[in-house]
Amino acid sequence: MSAALRSVNGEIRVDMRSFNTFSEIKNQLEKKLQRIDSYVLGTLVTLDMGDKRLSSKQVREIEDLLLDHGLHLRELRSNSKPREEEDENPFGDMPGYSDTALICRHLRSGQKVFCEGNLVILGDINPGAEVVAGGNIVVMGSLRGLAHAGAFGDERAIISAYRLSPTQLRIANHITRPPDGEVIVVSTPELARIRAGKVVIEKLKI
Amino acid sequence: MKSRVIVITSGKGGVGKTTTTANIGTALAMMDKKVVMIDTDIGLRNLDVVMGLENRIVFDIVDVVNGNCKLKQALIKDKRFDGLYLLPAAQTKDKTAVSPHQMKNLTNELRKDFDYILVDCPAGIEQGFKNAVAGADDAIVVATPEISSVRDADRIIGMLEASGLNNARLIINRLRSKMVKRGDMMDINDILDILSIELLGVVPEDESIVVSTNRGEPAVMETTSRAGGAYRRISRRLIGEKVPMLSIDEENLNFVDRFRKILKLAR
Repeated sequence: MSAALRSVNGEIRVDMRSFNTFSEIKNQLEKKLQRIDSYVLGTLVTLDMGDKRLSSKQVREIEDLLLDHGLHLRELRSNSKPREEEDENPFGDMPGYSDTALICRHLRSGQKVFCEGNLVILGDINPGAEVVAGGNIVVMGSLRGLAHAGAFGDERAIISAYRLSPTQLRIANHITRPPDGEVIVVSTPELARIRAGKVVIEKLKI
Repeated sequence: MKSRVIVITSGKGGVGKTTTTANIGTALAMMDKKVVMIDTDIGLRNLDVVMGLENRIVFDIVDVVNGNCKLKQALIKDKRFDGLYLLPAAQTKDKTAVSPHQMKNLTNELRKDFDYILVDCPAGIEQGFKNAVAGADDAIVVATPEISSVRDADRIIGMLEASGLNNARLIINRLRSKMVKRGDMMDINDILDILSIELLGVVPEDESIVVSTNRGEPAVMETTSRAGGAYRRISRRLIGEKVPMLSIDEENLNFVDRFRKILKLAR
């Protein structure tokens, strides 16, 4: 059995559907490529993977292999859903709201902002300031005051901030505050959401 | 030159608004500017005491706005500097005796004769604050390196912005460099991080302030006072001179120490 290789509009398509393991795929590809050295440098290649999924490391190996022959990987076609990508998206489960307000200033002590939908703040929220949103809250600065997301009871709402050090966080009807006496210095963006009935804070991975 | 109305405020009480007003006013007058200081803390007046002019008060700000006297009659000329005047607050009335509209008219009247009109704001965010900011072009916010003071300063900056004063500048007062070094006191960057406004200057903690306040002679008049030196630099920045910020250590040296340091460098 061998892989079907076609040339369409100056691109190469390789059908890998009949192979199961990664080493088989790689061997077949290598064999085929030795025969097509005469192709123009920089030709794009599409691989049809069928139901199989490749890890990002395996994708890189294939890309390297193609590059050795002066070819570029254009696309890996696959029937299975890209599960990994969903896991990597921190906002995957975030509820959608049509209404979003953008606040382009610092919120100082005593100031309060409310929006029925999402709130995006380009600035800091200082201690004593409050932001309340029916949906999600994203702070592109330091969140040092109080933030309440999902104010109408949406437990899927999230609060994320470039620096998350609030006096209090509220999501739906959950209220949390930082632990007493502990000073935790985190110098990365973070995200707060409800998991298993508790407000948890996690590193924002984008 | 166009005259400026500058309100000196803080939110919290006891951080040094009145001391700052007295020292900046005196320093500006020492630089040959025509300066009037208005005490808007009606009912709890202090600026006259700090300036040592208490016994010269005949009329006050409430008399002026009510038309009991002419503005010129209520202005007290300083005993040391020609261009320095004080408009004292009334002690027997309260903040509601003056309205923001009247304050605005009053400051506009003073613009004709003075380069700088310094308004000493009372503590709090009520009527007294609203009166003080009514006619102002600029604002100076005084804060000490304490959480409560910084929190109130933040609130005040928000309220200043709400009333159209977006160019507030900050004076950090009573900084103790030793405590900052030990990590026991908020440092300048911590404060600027939260307040995010321009820093006008830092005044070190200085016992001589208490002495000069009690004597009614502003510290800027004494060349050896550390706080006085800081206020002189602040005043020069206020009139637009470029005066570099000193590090905390340098701010802490008095005149003699600094002279010694220069000698050492020269050697």
